[in-house]
Amino acid sequence: MDEHEERELQALLPALRRFARSLCADAADADDLVQATLERALSAWRGRRDQAALQPWLFSILYRRFLDERRRAARWGRLRALFAGQAADQPELAPSPERVHAGREQLAAFARLPAEQRAVLLLVAVEGFGYREAAETLGVPIGTVMSRLSRARERLHAFDEGQRPAAPALRILK
Amino acid sequence: MSTPVRDDELHAWLDGQLPAQRRAEVEDWLRAHPRDAERVEGWRRDAAALRTALAGQPLPDAPGLAPHAIRRRVAARRQARFGMAAALVLSLGCGSLLGWQARGRQEANANPPMADAVAAYRLFAEDGTPLAFDGGGHAALQDWLRVHFGKAGAIPDLASQGYALAGGRLLSTPEGPAAMLVYRNAADARIALYLRPRTARLAQPGERRDGRLLAQYWVEGGTAFALVGPATEAALRRLAPLLRGSA
Repeated sequence: MDEHEERELQALLPALRRFARSLCADAADADDLVQATLERALSAWRGRRDQAALQPWLFSILYRRFLDERRRAARWGRLRALFAGQAADQPELAPSPERVHAGREQLAAFARLPAEQRAVLLLVAVEGFGYREAAETLGVPIGTVMSRLSRARERLHAFDEGQRPAAPALRILK
Repeated sequence: MSTPVRDDELHAWLDGQLPAQRRAEVEDWLRAHPRDAERVEGWRRDAAALRTALAGQPLPDAPGLAPHAIRRRVAARRQARFGMAAALVLSLGCGSLLGWQARGRQEANANPPMADAVAAYRLFAEDGTPLAFDGGGHAALQDWLRVHFGKAGAIPDLASQGYALAGGRLLSTPEGPAAMLVYRNAADARIALYLRPRTARLAQPGERRDGRLLAQYWVEGGTAFALVGPATEAALRRLAPLLRGSA
């Protein structure tokens, strides 16, 4: 890795951390995920195929790791449940209290989307990835990117509608 | 009039993913269909709000994530791996030497199954060599085993047989990671359960005397197990079937 690439990597760090945070419920978990991603990236640096696209490459490593970890966690959850004789509790990332208390309804609504939809929405609507690039990063067909994107937008919008102040409950009756 | 605009084209228009020609047609459509225009505008507003919210999220300093810090860690890990390989060569060397001496008159060329388990026992369990995981380290040992052996890596509880876990030792073998769990009974007799990825060669369970040691071995899934201890220890033959059932 030369100096230029190191600067590029440094510049991508905030975006990478945001991506991780959009996937993980917990900020510390997210940074762990970023750290594992960077370690993997540095070990595989020379073997990188496409020299041009550092960001999609890093994002795809991170996303794969996230899915792997989630799969492992789900497996353990099932196993634990088997022994404990109760249902596996795998809540879809509930909005953490700090997010809600910060008054960021938008983030709270975003956090309630399934992780796959969060990933697509973040790549396309926040990071400005093209559909093809997003598809390659997430390892899914382009049609999947588009359907997840449309579902994510509809759901996010529905949450937002629900968040808007409702009509006053009391009305003056004449 | 152009073909009707589908929903996915509305998304693609918003994301700048449409070819120029279709883009103009979608814009015409939006002008003629205010409800669709309102929906697209809603998505745009949501995305803008999301961008603002994410940008406003504080990202605390994380010096551990700086490229040079990562690089240092990767280099350190590489070195540790090299060190482990060196230790492996050393321990295999010691092990085979000890094994060879102990076998004495036996034919020197035989390469009995799970010889590494016996070698590991001689090196680490026989004479009270300090173990890497003792006392409070059980949780860490268990985690390591889970990572490398999955379900097969559960630390068996032999308390009912009078044996308590004295510690463990992680090893590296040509087949992959290995671990030896050392148990001790009230009379200070030590037995060890050794596990590592199986080889194709080892298919049948069996047992074998090696000097004054008895090794009983078997395979479960992808993991090979060996229970090693002094051949005089009567409990050994009772324990192996129990372990095989539980692993």
